[in-house]
Amino acid sequence: MTLSPQLENKFSELLKRYPVKRSALVPMLLYSQDEYGHISDEMIAEIARRLDLNTLQVTETLVYYSMLRRAPAGHCHVQVCTNISCKVRGGEKLWEHAQKRLGIGHKQTTSDGVFSLEEVECIGACTGAPAAQVNYDFYECLTPEKLDAILDQFQAGKKPAPVPHVSGSIHERHPAEVPVISRRFGIKNSRKIEVYRKHEGYQGLEKALKEMTPEGIIEEVKKSNLRGRGGAGFPAGVKWSFVPKDSPKPKYIIANADESEPGTCKDRPLLEFDPHQLIEGMIIAGRSVNSHQGYIYVRGEYRYVLDIVDGAIREAYEHGFLGKNILGSGFNFDLCTHTGAGAYECGEESALMESLEGKRGYPRIRPPFPAVVGLYGCPTIINNVETLSAVPSVILKGAEWYAGLGPARNGGTRLFCVSGHVERPGIYELPMGFNLLKMIEVAGGMRGGKKLKAVVPGGSSTPALKAEECDIAMDFDSLAKAGSMLGSGGVVVLDEDTCMVDFARRIMKFYAHESCGWCIPCREGTSWIKLILDRFHAGSGRAEDIPIIDEAAKNIFGRTFCPLGDAAAMPMMAIVKKWRHEFEEHLSGRCPFKAAEVAVEE
Amino acid sequence: MAEQKTITFTLNEHKLTVPAGTVVIEAARRVGIEVPSFCYYPGLSLQAACRMCLVEVEKAPKLQTACTLVATEGMVVRSDTPQVHKARKDMLEFLLTNHPLDCPVCDKGGECELQDMTFRYGLDKSRFVEEKLHSPEQEWSPVVYYDAPRCILCFRCVRVCDEGMGVKALGVGSRGVNSVIIPNREDHLECEECGMCIDICPVGALTSGTYRYKTRPWEMSYVPTVCAHCSNGCKTTLSVRNNDILRANNRDLSGINKEFLCIKGRYGFDFVHHKDRLKLPLVRRNGTLQPSSWEDALAEVAARLKAIRDAHGPEAIGFIGSNRTTNEENYLLGRLARATVGTNNVDHHRTADYSALVQSLGEKSSAAQPGMEQLGAAKAILLIGNDPTNQNPLVAWEIRSAVRLHGARLYIINTQEIKLRRQAEQFVRIAPGAEALMARWLATGEGDLELDTSLEMMKLRGALEKEQDVVIVFGAELRGAAIGHLVEFGASLPGQTRFMALGDYANSRGAADMGLLPDRLPGYAPLSNAAARDAFGKLWGTSLPEAPGIDARRMLSDAAEGTLQALYVVGANPFKTFGTGGRPAGLELLVVQEMFLTETAQQADIVLPAACAYEKNGTMTNTAGEVQLLRKAMETMGTRTDFEILRIVSHQLAKAGMGKAIPLRTPEAALDEIRSGVPGYGVSMPGLLAGGAERTAPVVPANGHKLSDVPAESIFSARDTLFTSGTLSRYCTMINSVPEAKSEA
Repeated sequence: MTLSPQLENKFSELLKRYPVKRSALVPMLLYSQDEYGHISDEMIAEIARRLDLNTLQVTETLVYYSMLRRAPAGHCHVQVCTNISCKVRGGEKLWEHAQKRLGIGHKQTTSDGVFSLEEVECIGACTGAPAAQVNYDFYECLTPEKLDAILDQFQAGKKPAPVPHVSGSIHERHPAEVPVISRRFGIKNSRKIEVYRKHEGYQGLEKALKEMTPEGIIEEVKKSNLRGRGGAGFPAGVKWSFVPKDSPKPKYIIANADESEPGTCKDRPLLEFDPHQLIEGMIIAGRSVNSHQGYIYVRGEYRYVLDIVDGAIREAYEHGFLGKNILGSGFNFDLCTHTGAGAYECGEESALMESLEGKRGYPRIRPPFPAVVGLYGCPTIINNVETLSAVPSVILKGAEWYAGLGPARNGGTRLFCVSGHVERPGIYELPMGFNLLKMIEVAGGMRGGKKLKAVVPGGSSTPALKAEECDIAMDFDSLAKAGSMLGSGGVVVLDEDTCMVDFARRIMKFYAHESCGWCIPCREGTSWIKLILDRFHAGSGRAEDIPIIDEAAKNIFGRTFCPLGDAAAMPMMAIVKKWRHEFEEHLSGRCPFKAAEVAVEE
Repeated sequence: MAEQKTITFTLNEHKLTVPAGTVVIEAARRVGIEVPSFCYYPGLSLQAACRMCLVEVEKAPKLQTACTLVATEGMVVRSDTPQVHKARKDMLEFLLTNHPLDCPVCDKGGECELQDMTFRYGLDKSRFVEEKLHSPEQEWSPVVYYDAPRCILCFRCVRVCDEGMGVKALGVGSRGVNSVIIPNREDHLECEECGMCIDICPVGALTSGTYRYKTRPWEMSYVPTVCAHCSNGCKTTLSVRNNDILRANNRDLSGINKEFLCIKGRYGFDFVHHKDRLKLPLVRRNGTLQPSSWEDALAEVAARLKAIRDAHGPEAIGFIGSNRTTNEENYLLGRLARATVGTNNVDHHRTADYSALVQSLGEKSSAAQPGMEQLGAAKAILLIGNDPTNQNPLVAWEIRSAVRLHGARLYIINTQEIKLRRQAEQFVRIAPGAEALMARWLATGEGDLELDTSLEMMKLRGALEKEQDVVIVFGAELRGAAIGHLVEFGASLPGQTRFMALGDYANSRGAADMGLLPDRLPGYAPLSNAAARDAFGKLWGTSLPEAPGIDARRMLSDAAEGTLQALYVVGANPFKTFGTGGRPAGLELLVVQEMFLTETAQQADIVLPAACAYEKNGTMTNTAGEVQLLRKAMETMGTRTDFEILRIVSHQLAKAGMGKAIPLRTPEAALDEIRSGVPGYGVSMPGLLAGGAERTAPVVPANGHKLSDVPAESIFSARDTLFTSGTLSRYCTMINSVPEAKSEA
């Protein structure tokens, strides 16, 4: 098969990125789809040939990722997000409108081939909800009318301007905010290396390389109380210290930029406004464990972000921050990006590594943990973008300073993406331990003066808090004590008009869609609960369904192969426990909130 | 060997001491505690996917999967707590949500692991009221069908195909609850069609084209016997209903092959019912073969043989035996030729030079020939010639297992890029016909090698010289003196070296062992060995001729010239095998015992319809020298076993005044005589009867015997593939129906 020169270049460039050819598989598939609209049998055979795989290995990987398709889609592939943050701000209405307007349904294409439509899971535009993507471009804060205008332009062969960056990331700073990792947001051209360097950029790296030992770096990160921002909150320095120093194998640093926990859109601005901060953090992490190769795994939907990061990496090479003998220290570090192609499961660290190796994103048996046996069977540090982005500040300004920003054992600040029923959805950098009720005030308070009903504190997997539980410090330990989790920083605020049964249904729809299918309880349990909730919310609920939902969730909890099972089960258990009366109210055959269902925003 | 480190831990009430590194599920099984599982399968990679084996571990906050939990010193595990029982119930409830529960019409009903587990551990009611996922059944090949809704996604099939077979024809499609198993060619399979995926499937998701919707498992009887095809001697269990074989598999994992069977073992049984099967004796009258009674046909055989012997002497008669008949039948044929007729003109299509191997190993013979399972546990393997994947599938499986499970290093010398090269540490591609040269080079350093080959071979020899335990496996490319060179090379290696010669058919080894050779007695003693000759003479009640007879090829050429007048063929097709084109002109009498009207049988004067391997009792010896019991599963009306035919012929001849009748009335009696009379065949009866593979150990004193070069015309492989099996495979409808077989034809 003859490829276009640009695709040929892309392929050969991809093959240089990895020690194992197969790693190029998912990017190759996605890039060839970008060019041809879909992945043909011929292309599968061609990619298989280039990667020394059989076609089955290519196919089984391909069909795992939801962005990859075997059949052509429309010229403009319209993807409407209906996940929780979008849903509570009219995402489902928007979705219905899109279907009506285009006269097609989910994964269908208009007869003229111009449009295809897909209802998608969280695309990381939660503070710009409701949102949609047309191909890779983001359109946010939509209404049916705005969507119509956009579609009109596409229909006319024009391309309406997408949002320049995630909505809610640039705003007037609230006095309570403590900008550390977001301090360069809003500075003109902040993603350019010159600007970055003007604002303390690469100074932490210089300090780490010139003044600190690798052990000293790890010690400093440990002391900073920097805990994993992906959701689990594991102390970063401790994780780094698990990497065996005497291993003769290469070691890898991975930035997990597969941001996809519904309600979360904090990595997106970190990558688009300040990619060098992440790069610097990764080089420092590399230095601490004597690693010479890093990968940034960016979710496939964030294509423009990927391009930005690629550009930043190029600049960093040009300025000698990447490559050989960085800043004359003798330390070498190479870095490149890697694109995912639509799979929440790949945010789980071991599944991410499988995916990075060009396979289906199935999680791995642990132990051994990635620090010992990770990417390509080698010791690997894998951290969330936000975690690694905090590292330059920790090194530059010191662990003590960083730790002091938050309460005990919860160092620093974090980006909270406050979405849902607040006046000013946005991404706010606040100290760890910041009070949740005050956080809602930072985001402008409850929209339209409505009453607070519940808050999902850290992405859809974290158990929702009732209004009366919301007077709480937003840190790992306080939320754990309250039976929830700080999670990924996706704070979804719900007002009194929210139907919790419907909310639960949408959460479970997501987990059923994203279950990788590896283990029985998650694969079967999420799908079963989703079916019950569909039926229940549609008016055919039975009293006995309520305990079944609860028990099925409990039967998933703690028994699955990876944490995704718990992620699906925990919010269910919490909603059934805390809002059981709402389920009971549905037994009459209709949703008590139907009439008051949120009107689409102006 | 260093003593293996052990640890002691507690499982329920048991204190268990197990080798360090043992997973709890295995430790539990060893003491008879069942920890249920679907995805765990010994020898395949761990999954921890089905979550059925969750157990409680003291101090662990969550239940742990026993299949991945390595027992450690002092660990306290419980598999019998209410929490564990509830977890199993819950897991089964999840599994059954989308499972169709079509057990009454499912082939697996009655032998389904999901059924059994639900019976033992499951709930008595279902809470799932939603619509189940459904998709239509798919035919992936004539032998493999997939029913996605029944699939519980344990991934055993995917793993056995990838890890066990090295084929990787199965993968996983879609994800989440929509996950399915997918074949490698979109909607169908292109593979070795071994059917391992079907047998290993715990439920009825993968079913077999030969068996599906035919019967219920409890309606059948089960007959463990040995596969009738290649020389590897896989145990196969025939499922029989009303004198009809409906299925062949090895689900009880017994025998040397455990779960392994190839397409021939699993599907190559339908020849028994083939419409062309001979069911009446045929006698040539006025130029055409006419049906006859057994009495008339046998009387004619005896009368005409006697007439030829009387007119031309015993040397005018030749016997060509079979690679497929039992040891007892081969033994009887040799006895008929040597003791009743009085000639050493007895041979068979030799597909491996077992004789040279035994001869050159001398006293070391028994210890230096590993069994199949030992091959699977080998530390290093040198494979010269042959293509085991095609010709010796169990050998290939054992080699792959040795590499995969025991870290064995595989070295290959071959003229073709055979599939096993993927597992090889080093693969040396040599020029066609150069195998013997390589053996000589390895032993003596003599011989002109191309520069590239010589560098490769030096590297290979260097690697082998570092090995402590090597099994040398070789095909028919190595014969006579070349085998001597291999043995010589083996002796020069620092550690233990063992050997396995690869023949073609189910009892190729047994034919040679039982003395269907013109110059050797049963057990390989040369005819020149007076003591051995006397021993058999005594046993058979006559004195045996000393001069070696002529081999099969010579019999045919002598028959063309008229010096050989009568040819008696048992279960062989020499006109085809040796390519004579037709019946030799000077042949007076051709008697053929056969199942089908082969090229040779078509030319016969008398054709006697024979029973097949699945229709008789007896023993066979696989290429590794392991004897196993054959058990009769059914019978075809009108046929007789070769044993019975030969015995009657001997009686008829004796009655006609020619030699002595063979008094052995049954295969069991013949086996007794073999066990006591044939050197190296004193195998244990309890072992055999229990279904074991008993190692034979023929030893021929070296006595300065020098092996000579043996031409390829004398010993050669038919190079059968996975889909052919000499003449027999022509009549295997199911094998011939798979596309891979068609593309090879």
